[in-house]
Amino acid sequence: MQAVREFILDRNPKLERLDDDLDLIDSRAINSLAFVEFIFLLEELTGESIDPEDLDLDDFRTLNAIGARFLKQKAAS
Amino acid sequence: MAVREIEPIELELDRLEHMAESGYYNPYTLFDWPDAIEPDMPWMSESLTTLAGTPMWDELTREQQIALTKYEAINFFSLNIHGIRELMSEVVMRIHERTYANVSEFLHHFIGEENEHMWFFAQFCLRYGGKLYPAQPTLQADSVEHLSPVARELVVFARILIFEEIVDHYNAYMATDESLPHIAREINRVHHQDESRHVAFGRMIFTNLLGQVAKRDPAEVPLVAEYLENYLRYSIATLYNPAAYRDAGIPDALALRRRALEHPARHAAHERILKRTRTFLTKAGVGRELVK
Repeated sequence: MQAVREFILDRNPKLERLDDDLDLIDSRAINSLAFVEFIFLLEELTGESIDPEDLDLDDFRTLNAIGARFLKQKAAS
Repeated sequence: MAVREIEPIELELDRLEHMAESGYYNPYTLFDWPDAIEPDMPWMSESLTTLAGTPMWDELTREQQIALTKYEAINFFSLNIHGIRELMSEVVMRIHERTYANVSEFLHHFIGEENEHMWFFAQFCLRYGGKLYPAQPTLQADSVEHLSPVARELVVFARILIFEEIVDHYNAYMATDESLPHIAREINRVHHQDESRHVAFGRMIFTNLLGQVAKRDPAEVPLVAEYLENYLRYSIATLYNPAAYRDAGIPDALALRRRALEHPARHAAHERILKRTRTFLTKAGVGRELVK
């Protein structure tokens, strides 16, 4: 999760706090241009590929959602 | 789309329209499609692959190198196809708006030609590669919400222009690269020929809309410059598709992609690819030097 936080903070130097329930998409912390890189980062962290044609945006909306969908799944496997 | 807030676009397009009419061709009969690509020939110029100039290229076997040219050619043409889909949908929605009445004639040529390009790129990928790579995901909440309607309109045409200029860098080189199969050279040549008109038009409409942005609020110009700089970097990064590395049998695709994107030889290559566009943006007054 630290790598995910760093990715977001690196791209948003004005962001003072990164709460786990901040809506990353509505707040534009992750915008359209950064989204692809963000998916590649998650793929690299989890070792799972993410199908670009079959995404549920809600899985990417907050750090909580990302943790639940991508990172814990790996820990459990 | 709020084009009512934008002044009518007036451009001198007679020459470009005349060229589009006199150079018109039937793409469906123009190409002589071979049954297969000659084995052992690269599908795109080796010097234009995303690993060119790095030790990562040298570490590949010859089979992997050829496979990389194949899958990066498919990625390049797939990016073209998805870029064309985006730009056509944007232009179609504007073509009979009052703002664009004066340029509607040229826009008809533009859409028609882009549709034909999309067809021959897809033919190449599907005939010889058996697939296209899917479009990268986009977000509905876009990256331009902080901009005024006229600046957003500028961004629409700027994205089209930047996309076309980057693609043209590749097409112009591959059009005459004798190491490539004839059909690959031809596709690049024909596209390069049409795109010179589209780029000329793109620069004219960009300049018009940038003038409107600056007139409304000069303070917004650096915000546009920042968006465009991000878009240039984003566009370059889309050339580095981990799926193409995997298909070429290269392991650890995501780490490889990261290493390649960071490599000094690739930074120099990116500067070459973007040189013409960056010079244009700087002369227009919206270059990266405005980005804080």
